[in-house]
Formats: sequence, C-alpha cells, structure tokens
Amino acid sequence: MKEIKVEVIGVDPPCARCKKTEENAKKAAAKLAAEGVKVEIAKLDVTAKDAISKYGVLVAPALAINGVVKLMGKELDAGVIERLLRKEL
Amino acid sequence: MDKKQALKTALMLAFILFFIVMMIQAIVGAYTLTPTSTAEDLQGLPLWQIPLVYMWDYVQHGWVCLGFAFTISGLFAEFIPKSFTIKYMSSGKPIAYVIAMLIAPLFCVCSCTMVPLFSGLIYAGGGIGPALTFLLAAPANNLLADIVTIQVLGWQIGLADIVAAGISAVVIGFLVSKTPWGKKFDQKVQKTPAQIASVELAKQPLDERLWSALKFGGYLAKRIIPAFVVGLVAVSYFQAFFPSELVQTYLTGAMGVVYAAILAGPLYTPTLIEVAIGKALVNLGMTPGATLAWLMGQPYDVPNALSTSRIVGWKIAITYSVLAFIAAVFSGLLYGLITGGF
Repeated sequence: MKEIKVEVIGVDPPCARCKKTEENAKKAAAKLAAEGVKVEIAKLDVTAKDAISKYGVLVAPALAINGVVKLMGKELDAGVIERLLRKEL
Repeated sequence: MDKKQALKTALMLAFILFFIVMMIQAIVGAYTLTPTSTAEDLQGLPLWQIPLVYMWDYVQHGWVCLGFAFTISGLFAEFIPKSFTIKYMSSGKPIAYVIAMLIAPLFCVCSCTMVPLFSGLIYAGGGIGPALTFLLAAPANNLLADIVTIQVLGWQIGLADIVAAGISAVVIGFLVSKTPWGKKFDQKVQKTPAQIASVELAKQPLDERLWSALKFGGYLAKRIIPAFVVGLVAVSYFQAFFPSELVQTYLTGAMGVVYAAILAGPLYTPTLIEVAIGKALVNLGMTPGATLAWLMGQPYDVPNALSTSRIVGWKIAITYSVLAFIAAVFSGLLYGLITGGF
C-alpha cells in the first residue's frame, strides 16, 4: 500500500486561507483513501523554528508532499492538491 | 476539457483586461476617482443620509480604482516569483534590503503574510536589518495601498509616500542592525543552523494560476471592504462636521507636520482607511507636508509595535518606532519645503 505524507504549513492561529487549504487537503486525501492510498496530513506553523530549519522561509499557506514544498503563498483547491498527490503514486 | 480550460482562461483574462482598460481610461481622461462631496453638500442632509450620500459618491467614482487594485494585487501575489525573492531577502547581503523594500511588499498585501514572513526571515538568519525594512515598507508600499493612495490623494503625494517610506525603511533597518541590541539579537538568532531547504515548486497551468490570482483578489476585497465601509461612514461625518479651523490651526506649518505624525501613530487604522481620513483632512485644509507625515505614521502604531516586540524584544521595537517617527517628521518637513506647502 502506498503512503503519502502531506504537510500544510500555515499560520498559527490559522488564517482563513490556511484553513481552507487544510480542508481541501483533507478532501483530496479522502478521495485517494477511497482508492486505497494512505495519506497522512500534518500541520506545521510557518513561524516555528522546526518548520524553518526544515524548509527555510516560506509564504503561508504552503503545501509540502513527502518532505518537498510544492506550492506556497496561495490557497489550494482540492482538485489541485489531488493532482499533485497523484503525481506521487 | 481543453476547450473548457481555454474558455475559462479567456474569460479571466477579459475580466483582468477590463479593469486595466477602465483604469487607463480614467487616468487618461483625468477623471476623478474620489468623492467630490464638500462639507456644504453634506451638512444640509439628515444625519442618516450623510454616510449613504458620501458612500454612493465614493462608489460611483471608486469602483474602478478598487476593482483594479484588488485584481492587480491578486495577480502580483500570484506571479511574483516567491522563492527567488525569499532567497535574496534572507541572503544577508546588501541586496536583501533592496528586495525587502521593493519586491516583497508587492505580494504582501495582508498581515497574514506579513508577520510570518518577518519572523521567518529573522529565524532563518536573514538578519534583523532586512526583516525590519520589510516590516516597515510592506504596509506603505504594498500595491493595494499604492494604487489607492495615488488615486485618492494624487500621484505627487502617493509617489512621495512610496519613496520616503521606502528610503526610511532601509535606513531604519540598517541603523537598528547596527545598534548594540540589534547586533546581540542577530548573534543570538543565527545560532539556529540553516539547512538546505527542500522546495521544488510544482508547475501549474495558466488557468489555475489566474483563478488563484482572482480568488486572492476577491479574498482581499472581502477582508478589506467591510473595514473600508466603516471608515467611509466615519469619514463622511468627519467631512461634514469637523471644524476646519481646527485642521487649519494644527495641521499646517512645521508644527502641523509634527502633530500629524503624532496623530497617525496611536490611531490604529488599516492603510486604506488612513488614506480616506487623510483625504477628509486634506479637504479641510491639511498641508501636503503634514499629509505625508500622516501617511508615514503607520509603522509605529501601537498594536503593530506590540506584536513585533514579542518577536524582537521591546528595545528593538522602541528603537524602530522612534526612528520611524523621526523619519515621518523629517520627510514631511522636506516635502513641505520642496512643495512650498507649509
């Protein structure tokens, strides 16, 4: 079984766009889960030291898949996230 | 699917083009985009009608400017290469100041991107200097504020604000990084080892990017317009009833510059409202020099300084607030001298 790790990197307390991106990531994950792919979603704080030492300076909201930042500074639709996830399969 | 995509792209481009053309037309036609109501127009009306009349006046003139500002801000936020900007801004080289002043503010229209980027820069070892320059330049020099300032207050003062705020942001950032406490702060922070960041941005098709740009423009409008409406209501009463003698006594001359700079600090107002209030004060007789000082007061307003002091400590927050106040007064005086507008 395939496993994908997704990190939504946002602001804490969450801004509206970060929240939306997280929700959409969950939607995309649910779709893939129905096909037997395990998607694990974690949330990171863009200003926390661990996030910065891992990814450097980012513009929130950002989305990392399997430890690589794919997009940043924009709210992402579920469809876009789903497409990015499928590329990892 | 492809046809649908092409149609979507074309529609979005048409929408963007519409606002650009309308804006150019307004500029070329020297058509005013700001309310033209005067105190005499408003005073005769029943109280409840004043904000409505003023707002209608604003909407008639201002929808082109606001639509254009939101659309273009969304486009810039989407299409300015962010990794490139961030890389140079956290490089610790002198170029970081220039990028922090000129390019980063273009895509940082809302505070939800400003503060994280500021603290991110600091923790990644970019140095307090460029980070502060960015923090000070962003509210004044973001695209939305620029467009609205120019349209509402005229291009002379708009341009003066952009230049003065940009230069003082660089100077203040540099000076603070040279103070003993600024240096100590930098040393403390740079112990965090910077690792090689794994960022490989995915490519997106044009229609997705345009949609993302317009969505962000819409998001900005949703966040800013309610505050703007409240501001306009306040400004309409202000315009109708505030005694112009008070403005003419206190907000003119060299001392007027100082008073305007003091007033602008503790008043916590979003940039666009500050511009609207500024317009009302100008109509009541505030001089150009005082107006510039008024516009430059944003960086040291109290809530802003408090939230940054949590990241950088109160010593640095006070230093940059005092320097920003001095810069506002100095720029206002200089502008007053140049324009003869005392």
